[in-house]
Amino acid sequence: MKFDPALALRSLPDMLHGLLVTIALAASVVALGLLIAIPLALARNSRHPVLAWSAATYVIVFRGTPAVILLFFVYFGFGQVFGARDGFLGALFSNAFLCAVLGFTLNHSSYVTEIVRGGLLAVPKGLVEAAAALGIEPRDVFLRIRLPLAIRYGLKAYQNEVILFTKATAVVSVITVVDLTSVANNIFYDTYDPFTPLLTAAAFYWVLVNLLRIGLARFDAWLNAHLMADEGHRQVIAVHSTTRAPAPLGPLGEPAQ
Amino acid sequence: MPLQDLLGYFAQLLGGAAITVELAFSGYACALTVGTAWALLRRLDNPVVNAVWRIYASTFMGVPSVLVIFLFYYGGAAIIGGMAELVGLRPRIDVSPFGAGLAALTVVQGAYSAEVIAGAMRNVPRGQFEAARALGIRPHQAWWYVIMPQVARLALPGLTNIWVSVLKDTALVALAGLNEIVARSRTAAGATKEPFLFFIAAALFFIVFSAATLKFSARIERGLDRGIARPVTTGAQA
Repeated sequence: MKFDPALALRSLPDMLHGLLVTIALAASVVALGLLIAIPLALARNSRHPVLAWSAATYVIVFRGTPAVILLFFVYFGFGQVFGARDGFLGALFSNAFLCAVLGFTLNHSSYVTEIVRGGLLAVPKGLVEAAAALGIEPRDVFLRIRLPLAIRYGLKAYQNEVILFTKATAVVSVITVVDLTSVANNIFYDTYDPFTPLLTAAAFYWVLVNLLRIGLARFDAWLNAHLMADEGHRQVIAVHSTTRAPAPLGPLGEPAQ
Repeated sequence: MPLQDLLGYFAQLLGGAAITVELAFSGYACALTVGTAWALLRRLDNPVVNAVWRIYASTFMGVPSVLVIFLFYYGGAAIIGGMAELVGLRPRIDVSPFGAGLAALTVVQGAYSAEVIAGAMRNVPRGQFEAARALGIRPHQAWWYVIMPQVARLALPGLTNIWVSVLKDTALVALAGLNEIVARSRTAAGATKEPFLFFIAAALFFIVFSAATLKFSARIERGLDRGIARPVTTGAQA
Protein backbone atom coordinates (compact mmCIF):
# COMPACT_ATOMS: atom_id res chain seq x y z
CA MET A 1 0.00 0.00 0.00
CA LYS A 2 2.19 2.78 -1.25
CA PHE A 3 2.19 5.59 -3.78
CA ASP A 4 4.94 5.52 -6.41
CA PRO A 5 5.63 9.13 -7.54
CA ALA A 6 7.94 8.00 -10.37
CA LEU A 7 5.19 5.85 -11.88
CA ALA A 8 2.66 8.66 -11.44
CA LEU A 9 4.98 11.05 -13.27
CA ARG A 10 5.64 8.53 -16.05
CA SER A 11 1.92 7.93 -16.59
CA LEU A 12 1.07 11.64 -16.66
CA PRO A 13 0.89 12.00 -20.49
CA ASP A 14 -1.47 9.02 -20.79
CA MET A 15 -3.54 10.30 -17.86
CA LEU A 16 -3.86 13.75 -19.40
CA HIS A 17 -4.99 12.19 -22.66
CA GLY A 18 -7.60 10.18 -20.76
CA LEU A 19 -8.70 13.32 -18.94
CA LEU A 20 -9.13 15.06 -22.27
CA VAL A 21 -11.39 12.25 -23.49
CA THR A 22 -13.44 12.49 -20.28
CA ILE A 23 -13.80 16.26 -20.68
CA ALA A 24 -14.70 16.01 -24.37
CA LEU A 25 -17.31 13.36 -23.58
CA ALA A 26 -18.82 15.28 -20.67
CA ALA A 27 -18.86 18.58 -22.58
CA SER A 28 -20.60 17.10 -25.64
CA VAL A 29 -23.21 15.39 -23.49
CA VAL A 30 -23.87 18.48 -21.38
CA ALA A 31 -24.38 20.59 -24.53
CA LEU A 32 -26.60 18.02 -26.27
CA GLY A 33 -28.49 17.31 -23.05
CA LEU A 34 -29.47 20.93 -22.59
CA LEU A 35 -30.46 21.21 -26.24
CA ILE A 36 -32.81 18.23 -25.94
CA ALA A 37 -34.06 18.96 -22.43
CA ILE A 38 -35.66 22.34 -23.16
CA PRO A 39 -38.11 21.11 -25.83
CA LEU A 40 -38.72 17.95 -23.77
CA ALA A 41 -39.55 19.99 -20.68
CA LEU A 42 -41.97 22.08 -22.75
CA ALA A 43 -43.53 18.89 -24.11
CA ARG A 44 -43.85 17.54 -20.60
CA ASN A 45 -45.67 20.69 -19.47
CA SER A 46 -47.78 20.71 -22.63
CA ARG A 47 -51.56 20.42 -22.52
CA HIS A 48 -51.39 18.10 -25.50
CA PRO A 49 -51.72 14.61 -23.94
CA VAL A 50 -49.65 12.78 -26.58
CA LEU A 51 -46.75 15.20 -26.20
CA ALA A 52 -46.94 15.20 -22.42
CA TRP A 53 -47.10 11.43 -22.19
CA SER A 54 -44.31 10.69 -24.62
CA ALA A 55 -42.02 13.15 -22.84
CA ALA A 56 -42.97 11.64 -19.47
CA THR A 57 -42.22 8.15 -20.77
CA TYR A 58 -38.84 9.31 -22.09
CA VAL A 59 -37.97 10.65 -18.65
CA ILE A 60 -39.15 7.55 -16.76
CA VAL A 61 -37.33 5.12 -19.06
CA PHE A 62 -34.00 6.91 -19.43
CA ARG A 63 -33.79 8.23 -15.90
CA GLY A 64 -34.62 4.84 -14.41
CA THR A 65 -32.06 2.86 -16.42
CA PRO A 66 -28.44 2.74 -15.24
CA ALA A 67 -26.06 4.40 -17.70
CA VAL A 68 -24.13 1.14 -18.22
CA ILE A 69 -27.21 -0.53 -19.70
CA LEU A 70 -27.85 2.44 -21.98
CA LEU A 71 -24.25 2.27 -23.21
CA PHE A 72 -24.60 -1.46 -23.88
CA PHE A 73 -27.90 -0.84 -25.58
CA VAL A 74 -26.48 1.74 -27.98
CA TYR A 75 -23.09 0.14 -28.62
CA PHE A 76 -23.89 -3.56 -28.68
CA GLY A 77 -27.56 -3.24 -29.69
CA PHE A 78 -27.68 -0.58 -32.38
CA GLY A 79 -24.01 -1.16 -33.11
CA GLN A 80 -24.79 -4.72 -34.15
CA VAL A 81 -27.67 -3.65 -36.38
CA PHE A 82 -26.15 -0.56 -38.02
CA GLY A 83 -22.44 -0.80 -37.27
CA ALA A 84 -21.44 -2.68 -40.41
CA ARG A 85 -23.50 -0.52 -42.74
CA ASP A 86 -22.29 2.42 -44.77
CA GLY A 87 -23.54 5.94 -44.38
CA PHE A 88 -24.37 8.07 -41.39
CA LEU A 89 -25.82 5.42 -39.09
CA GLY A 90 -22.95 3.04 -39.75
CA ALA A 91 -20.42 5.74 -38.99
CA LEU A 92 -22.28 6.71 -35.84
CA PHE A 93 -22.76 3.27 -34.33
CA SER A 94 -19.34 1.86 -35.18
CA ASN A 95 -17.66 4.70 -33.28
CA ALA A 96 -17.51 3.93 -29.56
CA PHE A 97 -17.07 7.57 -28.55
CA LEU A 98 -20.16 8.68 -30.46
CA CYS A 99 -22.10 5.75 -28.98
CA ALA A 100 -21.02 6.90 -25.53
CA VAL A 101 -22.18 10.44 -26.27
CA LEU A 102 -25.54 9.10 -27.43
CA GLY A 103 -26.01 6.71 -24.50
CA PHE A 104 -25.09 9.27 -21.85
CA THR A 105 -27.18 11.96 -23.55
CA LEU A 106 -30.31 9.81 -23.20
CA ASN A 107 -29.62 9.49 -19.46
CA HIS A 108 -28.45 13.04 -18.74
CA SER A 109 -31.13 14.80 -20.79
CA SER A 110 -33.90 13.03 -18.87
CA TYR A 111 -32.58 14.43 -15.59
CA VAL A 112 -32.13 17.89 -17.07
CA THR A 113 -35.68 17.78 -18.47
CA GLU A 114 -37.04 17.43 -14.96
CA ILE A 115 -34.87 20.26 -13.70
CA VAL A 116 -35.91 22.60 -16.51
CA ARG A 117 -39.53 21.63 -15.98
CA GLY A 118 -39.25 22.30 -12.25
CA GLY A 119 -37.69 25.68 -12.98
CA LEU A 120 -40.39 26.63 -15.48
CA LEU A 121 -43.15 25.59 -13.06
CA ALA A 122 -41.55 27.67 -10.34
CA VAL A 123 -41.94 30.93 -12.26
CA PRO A 124 -44.79 32.71 -10.47
CA LYS A 125 -47.98 32.63 -12.54
CA GLY A 126 -48.64 36.28 -11.88
CA LEU A 127 -45.50 37.29 -13.75
CA VAL A 128 -46.58 35.46 -16.89
CA GLU A 129 -50.10 36.88 -16.61
CA ALA A 130 -48.75 40.37 -16.08
CA ALA A 131 -46.52 40.00 -19.14
CA ALA A 132 -49.50 38.85 -21.20
CA ALA A 133 -51.59 41.74 -19.87
CA LEU A 134 -48.87 44.15 -20.98
CA GLY A 135 -49.26 42.78 -24.48
CA ILE A 136 -45.86 41.09 -24.69
CA GLU A 137 -45.84 38.41 -27.35
CA PRO A 138 -46.01 34.80 -26.07
CA ARG A 139 -42.60 34.03 -27.59
CA ASP A 140 -41.00 36.95 -25.80
CA VAL A 141 -42.77 36.05 -22.57
CA PHE A 142 -41.07 32.69 -22.79
CA LEU A 143 -37.62 33.78 -23.96
CA ARG A 144 -37.29 36.95 -21.89
CA ILE A 145 -39.29 36.23 -18.75
CA ARG A 146 -39.98 32.56 -18.08
CA LEU A 147 -36.75 31.01 -19.36
CA PRO A 148 -34.31 33.43 -17.67
CA LEU A 149 -36.12 32.94 -14.37
CA ALA A 150 -36.36 29.18 -14.80
CA ILE A 151 -32.60 29.03 -15.37
CA ARG A 152 -32.03 30.92 -12.13
CA TYR A 153 -34.41 28.69 -10.17
CA GLY A 154 -33.04 25.45 -11.55
CA LEU A 155 -29.32 26.19 -11.53
CA LYS A 156 -28.52 24.57 -8.17
CA ALA A 157 -30.17 21.31 -9.16
CA TYR A 158 -28.50 21.54 -12.56
CA GLN A 159 -25.10 22.00 -10.97
CA ASN A 160 -25.59 18.81 -8.94
CA GLU A 161 -26.67 16.89 -12.01
CA VAL A 162 -23.73 18.06 -14.15
CA ILE A 163 -21.28 17.02 -11.43
CA LEU A 164 -22.92 13.63 -10.82
CA PHE A 165 -23.04 13.02 -14.55
CA THR A 166 -19.37 13.97 -15.03
CA LYS A 167 -18.44 11.36 -12.43
CA ALA A 168 -20.78 8.85 -14.06
CA THR A 169 -18.76 9.03 -17.32
CA ALA A 170 -16.14 6.90 -15.56
CA VAL A 171 -17.99 3.72 -16.64
CA VAL A 172 -17.46 4.46 -20.31
CA SER A 173 -14.66 1.89 -20.61
CA VAL A 174 -17.35 -0.84 -20.82
CA ILE A 175 -17.76 0.13 -24.46
CA THR A 176 -14.00 0.44 -25.12
CA VAL A 177 -13.66 4.23 -24.87
CA VAL A 178 -10.31 4.99 -23.23
CA ASP A 179 -11.14 7.68 -20.68
CA LEU A 180 -9.30 8.67 -17.50
CA THR A 181 -10.53 5.68 -15.47
CA SER A 182 -9.70 3.34 -18.29
CA VAL A 183 -6.13 4.70 -18.51
CA ALA A 184 -5.69 4.17 -14.76
CA ASN A 185 -7.00 0.63 -15.08
CA ASN A 186 -4.63 -0.18 -17.90
CA ILE A 187 -1.68 1.05 -15.86
CA PHE A 188 -2.82 -1.21 -13.03
CA TYR A 189 -2.91 -4.20 -15.39
CA ASP A 190 0.61 -3.38 -16.58
CA THR A 191 2.20 -2.73 -13.20
CA TYR A 192 -0.05 -4.49 -10.65
CA ASP A 193 0.18 -1.32 -8.58
CA PRO A 194 -3.44 -0.37 -7.82
CA PHE A 195 -2.83 2.69 -5.66
CA THR A 196 -0.65 4.92 -7.82
CA PRO A 197 -2.75 5.03 -11.01
CA LEU A 198 -6.14 4.99 -9.28
CA LEU A 199 -5.24 7.69 -6.78
CA THR A 200 -3.71 9.83 -9.53
CA ALA A 201 -6.89 9.50 -11.60
CA ALA A 202 -8.96 10.24 -8.49
CA ALA A 203 -7.00 13.45 -7.96
CA PHE A 204 -7.72 14.54 -11.55
CA TYR A 205 -11.44 13.83 -11.12
CA TRP A 206 -11.50 15.68 -7.84
CA VAL A 207 -9.97 18.78 -9.38
CA LEU A 208 -12.29 18.60 -12.40
CA VAL A 209 -15.39 18.20 -10.22
CA ASN A 210 -14.42 21.06 -7.94
CA LEU A 211 -13.58 23.38 -10.82
CA LEU A 212 -17.01 22.64 -12.28
CA ARG A 213 -18.67 23.26 -8.95
CA ILE A 214 -16.89 26.54 -8.32
CA GLY A 215 -17.53 27.70 -11.90
CA LEU A 216 -21.24 26.95 -11.75
CA ALA A 217 -21.55 28.50 -8.29
CA ARG A 218 -19.90 31.67 -9.61
CA PHE A 219 -22.30 31.74 -12.56
CA ASP A 220 -25.18 31.30 -10.12
CA ALA A 221 -23.96 34.14 -7.91
CA TRP A 222 -23.51 36.35 -10.98
CA LEU A 223 -27.05 35.64 -12.23
CA ASN A 224 -28.58 36.18 -8.81
CA ALA A 225 -26.51 39.06 -7.48
CA HIS A 226 -29.72 41.08 -7.11
CA LEU A 227 -31.68 38.57 -5.04
CA MET A 228 -29.32 36.81 -2.71
CA ALA A 229 -32.00 37.28 -0.02
CA ASP A 230 -34.46 35.03 -1.84
CA GLU A 231 -32.56 31.78 -1.24
CA GLY A 232 -35.56 29.93 0.22
CA HIS A 233 -37.49 30.16 -2.99
CA ARG A 234 -34.75 28.45 -5.01
CA GLN A 235 -34.12 25.78 -2.41
CA VAL A 236 -37.68 24.56 -2.96
CA ILE A 237 -36.85 23.79 -6.59
CA ALA A 238 -33.59 22.08 -5.72
CA VAL A 239 -35.59 19.72 -3.51
CA HIS A 240 -38.59 19.25 -5.76
CA SER A 241 -36.93 18.51 -9.07
CA THR A 242 -35.68 15.08 -8.19
CA THR A 243 -31.93 15.05 -8.54
CA ARG A 244 -29.83 11.91 -8.43
CA ALA A 245 -28.53 12.62 -4.98
CA PRO A 246 -28.41 15.40 -2.44
CA ALA A 247 -26.33 18.51 -2.89
CA PRO A 248 -22.54 18.22 -2.82
CA LEU A 249 -20.43 20.14 -0.39
CA GLY A 250 -19.26 23.72 -0.62
CA PRO A 251 -15.60 24.75 -1.02
CA LEU A 252 -14.67 23.91 2.57
CA GLY A 253 -16.96 20.92 2.89
CA GLU A 254 -19.90 22.82 4.29
CA PRO A 255 -23.32 22.01 2.83
CA ALA A 256 -23.97 24.12 -0.25
CA GLN A 257 -27.35 25.41 1.10
CA MET B 1 -32.62 -19.26 -31.11
CA PRO B 2 -34.98 -21.86 -29.57
CA LEU B 3 -37.34 -20.56 -26.93
CA GLN B 4 -35.99 -22.92 -24.31
CA ASP B 5 -32.49 -21.45 -24.56
CA LEU B 6 -33.86 -17.94 -24.28
CA LEU B 7 -35.77 -18.94 -21.17
CA GLY B 8 -32.57 -20.37 -19.74
CA TYR B 9 -30.87 -17.00 -20.19
CA PHE B 10 -33.82 -15.26 -18.58
CA ALA B 11 -33.46 -17.57 -15.57
CA GLN B 12 -29.81 -16.49 -15.45
CA LEU B 13 -30.93 -12.87 -15.54
CA LEU B 14 -33.28 -13.50 -12.63
CA GLY B 15 -30.44 -14.96 -10.60
CA GLY B 16 -28.41 -11.86 -11.40
CA ALA B 17 -31.31 -9.69 -10.26
CA ALA B 18 -31.23 -11.48 -6.88
CA ILE B 19 -27.54 -10.53 -6.49
CA THR B 20 -28.33 -6.92 -7.47
CA VAL B 21 -31.12 -6.75 -4.89
CA GLU B 22 -28.93 -8.29 -2.20
CA LEU B 23 -26.13 -5.80 -2.89
CA ALA B 24 -28.54 -2.86 -3.03
CA PHE B 25 -30.23 -3.71 0.27
CA SER B 26 -27.03 -4.43 2.17
CA GLY B 27 -25.31 -1.39 0.65
CA TYR B 28 -28.23 0.86 1.59
CA ALA B 29 -28.35 -0.49 5.15
CA CYS B 30 -24.60 0.05 5.61
CA ALA B 31 -24.75 3.52 4.02
CA LEU B 32 -27.57 4.57 6.34
CA THR B 33 -25.65 3.31 9.36
CA VAL B 34 -22.51 5.18 8.33
CA GLY B 35 -24.57 8.26 7.45
CA THR B 36 -26.37 8.31 10.80
CA ALA B 37 -23.10 7.83 12.67
CA TRP B 38 -21.49 10.76 10.79
CA ALA B 39 -24.54 12.96 11.31
CA LEU B 40 -24.45 12.30 15.07
CA LEU B 41 -20.67 12.77 15.23
CA ARG B 42 -20.92 16.11 13.45
CA ARG B 43 -23.33 17.34 16.13
CA LEU B 44 -20.46 17.13 18.62
CA ASP B 45 -19.01 20.15 16.82
CA ASN B 46 -15.54 18.84 17.54
CA PRO B 47 -12.92 20.51 15.28
CA VAL B 48 -11.03 17.24 14.68
CA VAL B 49 -14.20 15.33 13.81
CA ASN B 50 -15.31 18.13 11.52
CA ALA B 51 -11.96 18.21 9.74
CA VAL B 52 -12.02 14.45 9.19
CA TRP B 53 -15.59 14.70 7.92
CA ARG B 54 -14.65 17.41 5.43
CA ILE B 55 -11.82 15.38 3.99
CA TYR B 56 -13.95 12.23 3.87
CA ALA B 57 -16.96 13.91 2.26
CA SER B 58 -14.99 15.99 -0.22
CA THR B 59 -12.98 12.93 -1.30
CA PHE B 60 -15.82 10.51 -1.83
CA MET B 61 -18.23 13.05 -3.29
CA GLY B 62 -15.59 14.38 -5.68
CA VAL B 63 -14.48 11.07 -7.16
CA PRO B 64 -16.46 8.62 -9.36
CA SER B 65 -17.93 5.61 -7.51
CA VAL B 66 -16.42 3.27 -10.09
CA LEU B 67 -12.96 4.43 -9.16
CA VAL B 68 -13.68 3.73 -5.49
CA ILE B 69 -14.96 0.27 -6.40
CA PHE B 70 -11.77 -0.45 -8.39
CA LEU B 71 -9.61 0.88 -5.59
CA PHE B 72 -11.25 -1.42 -3.04
CA TYR B 73 -11.28 -4.40 -5.41
CA TYR B 74 -7.68 -4.18 -6.59
CA GLY B 75 -6.24 -2.65 -3.46
CA GLY B 76 -8.58 -3.93 -0.76
CA ALA B 77 -6.36 -6.83 0.25
CA ALA B 78 -3.37 -4.51 0.63
CA ILE B 79 -5.42 -1.95 2.57
CA ILE B 80 -6.79 -4.51 5.04
CA GLY B 81 -3.41 -6.28 5.22
CA GLY B 82 -1.68 -2.99 5.99
CA MET B 83 -4.14 -2.21 8.76
CA ALA B 84 -3.90 -5.74 10.21
CA GLU B 85 -0.13 -5.49 10.24
CA LEU B 86 -0.37 -2.49 12.55
CA VAL B 87 -1.91 -4.74 15.20
CA GLY B 88 0.55 -7.54 14.41
CA LEU B 89 -1.68 -9.81 12.32
CA ARG B 90 -0.87 -11.29 8.91
CA PRO B 91 -4.15 -12.61 7.59
CA ARG B 92 -4.65 -13.93 4.06
CA ILE B 93 -7.39 -11.89 2.48
CA ASP B 94 -9.26 -12.19 -0.78
CA VAL B 95 -11.56 -9.33 -1.66
CA SER B 96 -14.59 -10.43 -3.67
CA PRO B 97 -16.26 -8.10 -6.18
CA PHE B 98 -19.35 -8.14 -3.93
CA GLY B 99 -17.31 -7.15 -0.87
CA ALA B 100 -15.50 -4.37 -2.75
CA GLY B 101 -18.80 -3.10 -4.16
CA LEU B 102 -20.46 -3.18 -0.76
CA ALA B 103 -17.58 -1.29 0.87
CA ALA B 104 -17.53 1.31 -1.93
CA LEU B 105 -21.31 1.86 -1.83
CA THR B 106 -21.09 2.20 1.95
CA VAL B 107 -18.42 4.90 2.02
CA VAL B 108 -19.70 6.85 -1.00
CA GLN B 109 -23.42 6.75 -0.27
CA GLY B 110 -22.68 7.03 3.45
CA ALA B 111 -21.31 10.51 2.77
CA TYR B 112 -24.45 11.54 0.85
CA SER B 113 -26.72 10.00 3.53
CA ALA B 114 -24.84 11.86 6.26
CA GLU B 115 -25.61 15.13 4.44
CA VAL B 116 -29.32 14.30 4.24
CA ILE B 117 -29.59 13.08 7.85
CA ALA B 118 -27.56 15.96 9.29
CA GLY B 119 -29.79 18.39 7.35
CA ALA B 120 -32.89 16.71 8.76
CA MET B 121 -31.47 16.93 12.30
CA ARG B 122 -30.83 20.64 11.81
CA ASN B 123 -34.44 21.09 10.73
CA VAL B 124 -35.98 19.53 13.85
CA PRO B 125 -37.27 22.59 15.74
CA ARG B 126 -35.15 23.52 18.71
CA GLY B 127 -38.27 23.57 20.86
CA GLN B 128 -38.45 19.80 20.54
CA PHE B 129 -35.07 19.37 22.22
CA GLU B 130 -35.95 21.92 24.87
CA ALA B 131 -39.36 20.39 25.54
CA ALA B 132 -37.84 16.92 25.92
CA ARG B 133 -35.39 18.32 28.43
CA ALA B 134 -38.06 20.26 30.27
CA LEU B 135 -40.10 17.06 30.60
CA GLY B 136 -37.10 15.38 32.21
CA ILE B 137 -36.64 12.80 29.42
CA ARG B 138 -33.10 11.42 29.46
CA PRO B 139 -30.98 12.53 26.47
CA HIS B 140 -30.64 9.11 24.82
CA GLN B 141 -34.33 8.41 25.29
CA ALA B 142 -35.20 11.83 23.91
CA TRP B 143 -33.11 11.06 20.84
CA TRP B 144 -34.69 7.68 20.32
CA TYR B 145 -38.34 8.51 21.03
CA VAL B 146 -38.64 12.22 20.23
CA ILE B 147 -35.96 13.43 17.84
CA MET B 148 -35.17 10.46 15.59
CA PRO B 149 -38.79 9.84 14.50
CA GLN B 150 -38.92 13.46 13.35
CA VAL B 151 -35.52 13.16 11.68
CA ALA B 152 -36.81 10.11 9.80
CA ARG B 153 -39.78 12.07 8.51
CA LEU B 154 -37.68 15.01 7.38
CA ALA B 155 -34.95 12.86 5.83
CA LEU B 156 -37.23 10.47 3.96
CA PRO B 157 -37.40 12.25 0.57
CA GLY B 158 -33.62 12.60 0.44
CA LEU B 159 -33.05 9.04 1.61
CA THR B 160 -35.40 7.78 -1.09
CA ASN B 161 -33.25 9.54 -3.70
CA ILE B 162 -30.23 7.84 -2.19
CA TRP B 163 -31.91 4.45 -2.36
CA VAL B 164 -32.53 4.91 -6.08
CA SER B 165 -28.91 5.88 -6.69
CA VAL B 166 -27.67 2.93 -4.60
CA LEU B 167 -29.80 0.60 -6.71
CA LYS B 168 -28.41 2.04 -9.94
CA ASP B 169 -24.85 2.16 -8.62
CA THR B 170 -24.91 -1.62 -8.13
CA ALA B 171 -24.59 -1.78 -11.92
CA LEU B 172 -21.09 -0.29 -11.57
CA VAL B 173 -19.89 -3.30 -9.61
CA ALA B 174 -20.31 -5.33 -12.80
CA LEU B 175 -17.13 -3.55 -13.94
CA ALA B 176 -15.24 -5.22 -11.10
CA GLY B 177 -16.55 -8.58 -12.25
CA LEU B 178 -19.66 -9.05 -10.11
CA ASN B 179 -21.97 -11.34 -12.06
CA GLU B 180 -25.18 -9.40 -11.39
CA ILE B 181 -28.05 -8.60 -13.73
CA VAL B 182 -26.19 -6.12 -15.98
CA ALA B 183 -23.19 -8.42 -16.45
CA ARG B 184 -25.50 -11.36 -17.18
CA SER B 185 -27.57 -9.36 -19.68
CA ARG B 186 -24.33 -8.59 -21.51
CA THR B 187 -23.36 -12.27 -21.56
CA ALA B 188 -26.82 -13.32 -22.73
CA ALA B 189 -26.87 -10.61 -25.40
CA GLY B 190 -23.49 -11.73 -26.72
CA ALA B 191 -24.33 -15.43 -26.74
CA THR B 192 -27.81 -15.19 -28.28
CA LYS B 193 -27.20 -12.21 -30.62
CA GLU B 194 -30.40 -10.75 -29.15
CA PRO B 195 -29.05 -7.60 -27.51
CA PHE B 196 -32.28 -5.61 -27.38
CA LEU B 197 -34.23 -8.36 -25.65
CA PHE B 198 -31.87 -8.77 -22.72
CA PHE B 199 -30.84 -5.14 -22.30
CA ILE B 200 -34.50 -4.07 -22.27
CA ALA B 201 -35.25 -6.80 -19.71
CA ALA B 202 -32.42 -5.58 -17.46
CA ALA B 203 -33.51 -1.93 -17.90
CA LEU B 204 -37.11 -2.84 -17.05
CA PHE B 205 -35.93 -4.51 -13.88
CA PHE B 206 -34.35 -1.26 -12.67
CA ILE B 207 -37.26 0.93 -13.80
CA VAL B 208 -39.93 -1.28 -12.21
CA PHE B 209 -37.96 -1.86 -9.04
CA SER B 210 -37.25 1.82 -8.44
CA ALA B 211 -40.85 2.79 -9.32
CA ALA B 212 -42.10 0.23 -6.80
CA THR B 213 -39.85 1.58 -4.07
CA LEU B 214 -40.93 5.15 -4.87
CA LYS B 215 -44.56 4.07 -4.35
CA PHE B 216 -43.57 2.38 -1.12
CA SER B 217 -41.70 5.44 0.13
CA ALA B 218 -44.67 7.69 -0.73
CA ARG B 219 -46.80 5.44 1.47
CA ILE B 220 -44.32 5.63 4.36
CA GLU B 221 -44.19 9.38 3.88
CA ARG B 222 -47.98 9.60 4.21
CA GLY B 223 -47.76 7.53 7.39
CA LEU B 224 -45.05 9.72 8.89
CA ASP B 225 -46.88 12.89 7.88
CA ARG B 226 -49.98 11.97 9.87
CA GLY B 227 -50.87 14.73 12.28
CA ILE B 228 -48.71 17.29 10.52
CA ALA B 229 -50.24 20.10 8.53
CA ARG B 230 -49.27 20.18 4.90
CA PRO B 231 -47.17 23.23 4.11
CA VAL B 232 -49.13 25.99 2.41
CA THR B 233 -48.20 25.78 -1.25
CA THR B 234 -46.66 28.98 -2.54
CA GLY B 235 -46.06 30.10 -6.06
CA ALA B 236 -42.83 28.13 -5.97
CA GLN B 237 -44.63 24.81 -6.07
CA ALA B 238 -47.83 25.72 -7.89
